[in-house]
Amino acid sequence: MAVHSPTAPAAGPRAAPAAVRRHHWAGPGMVLPFLLLYLLFMIGPVAYNLVVSLFNTSLVHSGLGPFVGLRNYGEALTSADFWHTLWHTVWFTVLTTVPLVALSLALALMAERVRRWRWLFRTVFFAPYVLPVSAVALVFTYVYADRIGLLQHLLSLVGVTSPGWLSDPRWVLPSVAAATVWWTLGFTFVLYLAALQDIPADVLEAAAIDGAGPVRRLRHVVVPMLGRTTALVTVLQVIASLKVFDQVYLIAGSGGGPAGAARSSVEYVYDSGFTDMRVGYAATVSFLLFLVMLAVSAVWFAVSRRTDQGV
Amino acid sequence: MPRRRRSAFWERAGATPAGVVRHPPGRTLMPRPAETSRPGRRSVLRAAAALALGGAGAAGLTGCGTAVGQGLFGAADPAGTLTYWNLFGGGDGTRMQQMENAFRAAHRAVRLRPVTLAWGNPYYTKLTLATLGRRPPDVAVTHLSRLPTLAASSLLTPLRSADLERHGLTAARFDPRAYQQAHYQGSLYAMPLDTHPFVLYYNTAVCRKAGLLDAAGKLKPLQGSTEFTAALAAGAKACGGAGAVMSITNDPSMCWRWWWTCYRQLGGGDLLAGDGRTVVLDEDRAERAAAYLARLTGRRLMPGELDQNGAVSLFTSGKAAFMLDGEWDVTTVQSTKAAFGMVRVPRLFDDAPYAVWADSHALILPRSPQRDAARLDLALTFVTSLLDDSYVWAQGGHIPAWLPTRDSRRYRDLRPQADYADAVAGAAYDPPAWYSGAGSDLETVAGGAVGLLLGGRLTPAGFVRSLRAGLRELASRPSPL
Amino acid sequence: MATATAPVPADRSATGAPAPVRAGRRRPRREPSAERAFTRLCGAVLVVFALLWLLPLAWALATSVRPDGEINTAPTRWFGAHPTLAAYRSVLDAGHIGQWYLNSLITSALTMVITVVVASAAAFALSRVDFRGRRALYWLVLAGAMIPAQVLVVPQFKELNSVHLLNTYWAVILPQLPSAIAVFVFKSFIDGIPGELVDAARADGAGWWTVYARIVMPLTRPAVSAVAVFTFVWSWNNFLWPLLVDTSVSMMTLPVGLATTQDSYGIRYAELMASAVLGGLPLIVLFLFFQRRIVEGIAGTGLK
Repeated sequence: MAVHSPTAPAAGPRAAPAAVRRHHWAGPGMVLPFLLLYLLFMIGPVAYNLVVSLFNTSLVHSGLGPFVGLRNYGEALTSADFWHTLWHTVWFTVLTTVPLVALSLALALMAERVRRWRWLFRTVFFAPYVLPVSAVALVFTYVYADRIGLLQHLLSLVGVTSPGWLSDPRWVLPSVAAATVWWTLGFTFVLYLAALQDIPADVLEAAAIDGAGPVRRLRHVVVPMLGRTTALVTVLQVIASLKVFDQVYLIAGSGGGPAGAARSSVEYVYDSGFTDMRVGYAATVSFLLFLVMLAVSAVWFAVSRRTDQGV
Repeated sequence: MPRRRRSAFWERAGATPAGVVRHPPGRTLMPRPAETSRPGRRSVLRAAAALALGGAGAAGLTGCGTAVGQGLFGAADPAGTLTYWNLFGGGDGTRMQQMENAFRAAHRAVRLRPVTLAWGNPYYTKLTLATLGRRPPDVAVTHLSRLPTLAASSLLTPLRSADLERHGLTAARFDPRAYQQAHYQGSLYAMPLDTHPFVLYYNTAVCRKAGLLDAAGKLKPLQGSTEFTAALAAGAKACGGAGAVMSITNDPSMCWRWWWTCYRQLGGGDLLAGDGRTVVLDEDRAERAAAYLARLTGRRLMPGELDQNGAVSLFTSGKAAFMLDGEWDVTTVQSTKAAFGMVRVPRLFDDAPYAVWADSHALILPRSPQRDAARLDLALTFVTSLLDDSYVWAQGGHIPAWLPTRDSRRYRDLRPQADYADAVAGAAYDPPAWYSGAGSDLETVAGGAVGLLLGGRLTPAGFVRSLRAGLRELASRPSPL
Repeated sequence: MATATAPVPADRSATGAPAPVRAGRRRPRREPSAERAFTRLCGAVLVVFALLWLLPLAWALATSVRPDGEINTAPTRWFGAHPTLAAYRSVLDAGHIGQWYLNSLITSALTMVITVVVASAAAFALSRVDFRGRRALYWLVLAGAMIPAQVLVVPQFKELNSVHLLNTYWAVILPQLPSAIAVFVFKSFIDGIPGELVDAARADGAGWWTVYARIVMPLTRPAVSAVAVFTFVWSWNNFLWPLLVDTSVSMMTLPVGLATTQDSYGIRYAELMASAVLGGLPLIVLFLFFQRRIVEGIAGTGLK
């Protein structure tokens, strides 16, 4: 590995001559612990994942098992479950990202305008974010419960007959998404609040002196200046949603709830690898999922590059 | 990280390192009045370290220390503790706790640590992972329909007759059918606790009105599909509701049990062969079974869409004459004070010996690197204690596999539980396959198709096509075993 | 900005970043009453949402102090006649939750400390020390930031299984340690430290390790606490990975334990809610204490 090479004559301009002897080793030495962990638990597993995806590896037997070439990939790409779970994942992403971005932006703008109690709102909206997912799941399973749940009760007070939030295949994923919005909104809210603080006052004053009313200031000055944050929030949320497992598994129940209507891609990996014990196939699905996420990241990277150059 | 954001972070994080102020400020380093109330890195780290150490210290005093030792150094479980995993909720859970407490009372020196986990796939996934993780429970419950997969994955300890005999756990004292099912490739891997069949509940008031009861107030024997259909029709007429109800919506396992019962009574056979690698579906009989099921829902003798709570509440409130369900719901039905009885599912077809869907709970010893003779003896003592308590278990509806209990007077007088004990003779377990067993993919796929059939969304012929396609898909997946 | 999020309005002037509203208020031609009414409306909407956000928590709390019998007869009433802490006692008596707290504490604290040390050292070297392969290494680490932990569970499980580390704390801790994100946070922070400081120390004959330990680390406090806090919170709340490797009940972390054994309580909602409250409590308390630090860390790094 290049990093360990002691022959490197890479004296930087800042290096002091007195330390030349230790100089060669200090850099690699400081990186070494991280690098070791990184190779063992990131790069190694990535490589191993690729290898395993070509075998019919079993969870319960040691060794790789029989070589199957690209058959796992063929099976995944033609499997209805693979596409269903991917679709659920994408749908979940839409169901969480859109409300999270829109709602937290609106709430942050309002909090910025009201100013008073802003810290209180921040505390209230952010507090759920530090809860462990199982606590969130316990509470929402109860809120959504049929007959005894809070939500059906509240809706019945205003005369609405609600569906079984977690027992109706059409509603289970939106229900989990709503709980997710409740859980994570504080995070995007805080990011927007911080971004709003970064808007220079003189820009707004200039706009105001030019006769722009609050609505126009909002539309033409504030929201465009939040573009970076919106891009960041969106991509973070999209990536977080694409790898969703915890709350879907816990609130909808294992197997994705009624008719598997909420099963996500990562849960498909979990089911294939650890319930069906087909580690090779699960590695294949993982890898395909990783490609999807990589594509999303790449799109963001390209877009943010362009924005950077524009600014 | 983008540049602008980076400097924002620098500022927002409130960085004013004391040493920097004396030097000319760098590009991104804006000197700013130091905050006084901010907890520094040291205090955060120190607090965390103190918490961790303090916690570990306190744990050492309170007995959690052994677990910390396990976590850090992989130490073994302390001797004299016994972990036991099960998947029992509701009435079963309560009864199991009663049986655990009986063991505790008799063995005060043993620390019994029972854990209840979510039923179905999650339970078996956890059991598998814990065994692979070399720290499985000492004793665990399994469904016998899951046993072949667990045994083939070498997750279980084979039971040696010498050890069992020391505790009186001999073959002659178990129900032979369940005992047979507890073997895999000739070795015994489990000690059956019960057999739990799919049964027929009848509402006494409704059935009396419909003239279906005999002088003693028991359901007159029903023979054949025609008679059963007629009984449902009479019952429906008598109560102005349904002939029979069953949990169908989002309940593929229950749907599967109903179809499997009919299919096996028709002589449909094994469904799968070669440990699930090939499908041997008897399409003709599969369709005949489906046609009968669809006829009952099609003639509105059975609702085609209903969930578990709905089924129980219709049945107990007298809006249905019969309920098809597992016997384990006896506690729930009893708690409603409705007058009811239970019998085994009637013989609807006589193309084959009597058959009804059933499964068994059994006790297994997962493979463990730390099982020595003392631990084995403790585990078997516990198993024996549970089996000896089978009467408690039987009150929850399950037919004891422990013959000393099943042949006891006390059990034979237990009503309505003893009234369907004859179902064990026809117990038809799920076919062996790595994707089969209680709550498995097989039940989900096949039962899902039955659900569509009962809901009227598939014709019997369409059902068979859907079932065949689903089974072939399952069978085509390479086996992990 | 640290001060902008503080509750005391006076602080805000220091940031020199007045919000849009203030600018609007100064405008002479605008009708002040309409502006004020709109502000009030915003306030009202915020209050409604805040209440909505508190509702599930309040509901969980209220349920947890009701007797089970009462919940069954009148499930949706808020306050019963007989508040009781019986559910809490029953959860604590079940005897696992204390162990889970401890497991979470130990694994999260160790993860946090090791991550801070290892990542800051690596970041310092990548930022300040010239050595061959530095650039390649930087890109390697950057690539790692793109790999979500969730898609590596399969090989990581196989790996830890093969060295018999499952069901130990190390199984939870080790895969969480190589945090590329922590390296980036440290690196961007250290990049901002004036080069003169390092140069001066080097000219005095200090080795790189001394520069790192004596000069750079003390200046990096804000990054340390940001990384420490989010590593701790993230590790504490991590779910999928501990779910796979902590299968022995005495080894489970709090989130896994709560989720796994909830079935022991069946449908006893008071117990379920009490365990949710107990499970959420430590981090809520931590959050209230370190609120600013946590929020700033997140707003600053923009990372989960």
